[in-house]
This record gives sequence, structure tokens and C-alpha cells, in this order.
Amino acid sequence: MPRPRYVFGEAWSIARTSPRQTAAAITLIALALYVPGLLALVSHNLSRLAAEETEDPASVVLTLDPQTDARAIATRLQADHRIQLVRIVSSDAALARFRRAYPDLGAALSDLKEAPFPPSIEVVLKPGAARTVSREIAAGARVWPGIESAESEEEFSRRFRDAIHLVRDAGLFLGAVLTLAAVLSVASAVRLALDLHREEVGIMRLMGATESAIRAPFWLYATSEGLVGGGLALGLLYATYRFAAHWLSRDPHPVLAVLWVGFLALPTQLLLPAAGAAAGLIGSLLSLGRRETRRATRLA
Amino acid sequence: MIQLFGVSKRYGTFRDALADISFRVEPGEFVFLTGPSGAGKSTLLRLLFMEETPTAGQIIVNGRNIGVLPQGQIPYLRRTMGVVFQDFKLIARKTIFENIAFVQNVLGLARVEQKRRAYQVLKRVGLHHLMNAYPDELSGGEQQRVAIARAIVNEPTLLLADEPTGNLDPVLAEEIMRLFVEINIRGTTVVVATHDLEMIRRTGKRTLILERGRLHDPDRVRESAPLVREAPFLPLH
Ligand SMILES: Nc1ncnc2c1ncn2[C@@H]1O[C@H](COP(=O)(O)OP(=O)(O)OP(=O)(O)O)[C@@H](O)[C@H]1O
Ligand SMILES: [Mg+2]
Repeated sequence: MPRPRYVFGEAWSIARTSPRQTAAAITLIALALYVPGLLALVSHNLSRLAAEETEDPASVVLTLDPQTDARAIATRLQADHRIQLVRIVSSDAALARFRRAYPDLGAALSDLKEAPFPPSIEVVLKPGAARTVSREIAAGARVWPGIESAESEEEFSRRFRDAIHLVRDAGLFLGAVLTLAAVLSVASAVRLALDLHREEVGIMRLMGATESAIRAPFWLYATSEGLVGGGLALGLLYATYRFAAHWLSRDPHPVLAVLWVGFLALPTQLLLPAAGAAAGLIGSLLSLGRRETRRATRLA
Repeated sequence: MIQLFGVSKRYGTFRDALADISFRVEPGEFVFLTGPSGAGKSTLLRLLFMEETPTAGQIIVNGRNIGVLPQGQIPYLRRTMGVVFQDFKLIARKTIFENIAFVQNVLGLARVEQKRRAYQVLKRVGLHHLMNAYPDELSGGEQQRVAIARAIVNEPTLLLADEPTGNLDPVLAEEIMRLFVEINIRGTTVVVATHDLEMIRRTGKRTLILERGRLHDPDRVRESAPLVREAPFLPLH
């Protein structure tokens, strides 16, 4: 096995002899990972909104007059045999829930005098209830005293979830395509580097360098390119996020604001440089594997 | 140390660069390989060094049949040899020191030790002041001496040199030959390919003559190369 010091030294000198190609490969990887990263960020923020509902999705939400006795209404609802569960969400609980989902925005709301969210009751239907049931219940409850509004959530939340899935799938698809592009660009960068170093690789082989001693520096070179590219993508993404958050804090937008509330979780963040490094390694394996570098030079 | 049995080498489909070569070099021997340009000297060294594979015949180097040596073993056998290439083959991107210490660097030898050995060996060829120069900055003769230094730095058991004095003036050539003889006395088997019959004569070592890919048999050597037969042994001190 070649020594790390040798491998690092050689990889560095490969990078130094072709700075333009190295920079181009890094840029390509950064862009290739930035785009899916952006979609991941959006879908991450959207799914926070949906996260609260994932376990027992409410089918009907009744918004109450603040003075109404929520318990009485809950009892009345529970008489319906199609209903599994009734959840009372006080305005404090609603605020707390919102803060949990959007810590940054929640802090801004704490200054408000009056409760921003009215109390509500969430109705969870029994599994297997017909699709029309939620609409029937909403329609029935709408006329009760103390009820401000009654919405059947089914349609809305399904569409919402579909939207999140769409963003996520688009991210995955674009990510796959662009990562493939990144792999290929690394492969061609390595092939170029190999061409530049063809003669000396031949000499090294004649000096008694093993195949791994010849290839390891190229592997390291490509993997580092990917790592730096992924890191760059992460940096760009964070800058985008900060910029958007800053911009929205000055000029809040009801829909856009929700998309820029939190940054990616650490494991997701680390995925970017990791994906870059993997793309680099795979790219170099591709180009070194295919190439027959033996007998590149001969005696005069 | 070296044995060849009926070795032939053909490049492409034309005539053989080497045809039916058999000879033996004992461990510790010093042998010259000579013959006109295109006779096959470099080809023969390339075979010994496993840069080419023979079209026919068997080659044994250091007790190993190199025809059946696994690909992965070649680097390790090469490390026991030192080679001075006819075109030097220095790595342009590396300094003289880095060129000489390359194998030691791969093996992870301490930097100080690499420097010490490179300095010593460069001193023997008179170039210790050029440790940090790059090959392009050196004259042809200097590059050749660096190639020689690189070939001997790891104290090989077999030294193969292809025209090692081709670019040197007579005084330097003489010095290099003396260096080779010294290395040989320390136990390294040496094979030197050269056109320089005068040098062969002065050194008085065994000589193999190639002509058009064939080895002259020893009896005919005497007839065709009186210089070699009459070579007086000159002590090199
Ligand atoms: N790679 C090659 N491809 C095809 N033919 C080759 C190759 N290398 C050498 N030859 C041919 O093989 C023959 C022997 O060449 P070789 O280089 O061994 O000669 P040489 O004795 O070393 O000559 P010189 O003294 O000029 O260095 C020549 O006819 C040459 O043209
Ligand atoms: Mg030659």
C-alpha cells in the first residue's frame, strides 16, 4: 500500500498542474449539488408544516368562537359513531404548535397582545370512513352555535402532501441526473489529468510503482474535488437561505415565508459534501478502470 | 542472475528485433552488450526489465521466470533492479531530489533519510548541488548522471544501463564507468549496453555482441571484434 504522505503529495501536484480543469470540475459538482439541495430545503420546510398531522390526520377542523365551551361541542361530536377522536386545540396550544414548527417566526409572534390563533377542534375519523364523511360532518357542524368555520381538511391536506412529494421527487430526480453529470465531469477531468501525466505515470511504473500507488493519488484528487464541490454547494445553499430569510424578514410574504423558515438538518447538510465525494470517487474509478495505462512508455 | 533460453522478440509482423538469444550472466558479473544501432540492445534490456514480453523463449531473472510472473509482482521485482534508460526518463514535474527518491517516497521512507541517500548518490555523480533543480534546467550529460544516480540509489541487485555514457565527455564517461565497476565490486550484477568499443576495451569485461537481433557466438566474436579479444585489463585507479 502506498503511504498517505506520498498519495497526498501526488494528488496535490496533480491538482496544481491543471488548476483550470480542477476549478471547472469543482464548479460543476457544486452546481450539480446546489439545485437538488435547494429543492431539499424547500421540501424540508414544507414538510414541517405537514409533520404535525402525519400521525392522526384531522379530517375536519372546526374553528371556534373564543367564548364557546369547546368541551360541550367535543362531547356533541363524539356521539357520532364515524368519529374516532376529537382534539381540542386551545389558542395557546395552536401558538405553541406553530412555534414548534417555525421557531424563527414563532418568536416574532410572541410580542402580540391578543392570541393570533383562535381555538379549534380537530376531528379524526375512524379508519375506513367514506371520503364524503368529512364533508358531511363539516357541513353539519357549520350551523352549530359557537362555530366560526368548519373545514373539511381532506382535500387540502392531500394536495399539500402531494405538493411536498412532488418537490421531493423533483429534487431526487434532478439530484440523480445532475449527480450523474457531476460523476461524468469528474471522470473526464481525471481522464484529462491522466493524459497530462501519461508519460510520468509510465515512468513511475518503470520505477516500480504498484498500480495502487499510481491510481491512489488520482482517486484522492477526484474525491477531494467532489468534497470541495459539495462543500461549496452547501455554502451557496446556506447563503441563499440567509439571503432569502433576510429579504423576507423585511418584506414578509405569506406563502414564501413558510418556505424559508429553517435550514436543513445537519445530517442532510452533510449529505451534500458526502455526495460530492462519492461522485468524485465513482468518476475517478470510471475513468481509471476503463483506461489501460500499462506500457505507456518504453525505452528509447 | 540472468538466463535466456531461445528468446525472440518481434515488434509487429516484420523481422525479429531479437532472434533465438540464449546466454547466461552469473551473479556479480559485469557484462557489456554491444552492436550496431538497431541491433536489439535496448530491446534485450526491455525484456529483462519486463517492459516488453518475449515473443518466444524463457527469461529467468534473479531466479524467477519472468514469463510467468503475475502482473502484480512486476513492480516488486523492478524495485530490485536499477535501470539507466537511453532517454533518461526523468519526471519533468519533479525535482532531481524527488526523481531520485520516488520509490522511497512511495514506500514511506523518512524524508531525512531520503535526502541523505539522494545527496550521497548525487555526490557520487558530482551533482549534489542540483538537488532542487528540475530536469529541464540540466544539460543532457547532467540528466544522464541523474538517471544513473536514480538507478543506483536503492542499491539494486541488478543494474541495467542503456548507453549510460552516450552524452558524457570522455573524462566523465570514464568516471561513470569507474562508478559502475565500484558498484559491481560491492555485489551488484551490471549489464551495460554501449557503442563505445574503446570503453569496453579499457574496462576489459565480458562482452556480448548483438547484430541484427542475433548474438555472435564467442568464437566468432574473436574474429569479428579483435578489439574485444585483445582488450587489456586496465586497473581503474
Ligand atoms: N517499439 C518498437 N516497435 C517496433 N519496432 C521496434 C520498437 N522498438 C525497437 N524496434 C525495432 O527493433 C530493432 C531493435 O531496436 P533496439 O532499440 O533494440 O536497437 P538498439 O540496439 O538499442 O539500437 P540503438 O543502438 O540505436 O539504441 C530495430 O530495428 C527497431 O527499429
Ligand atoms: Mg538502444
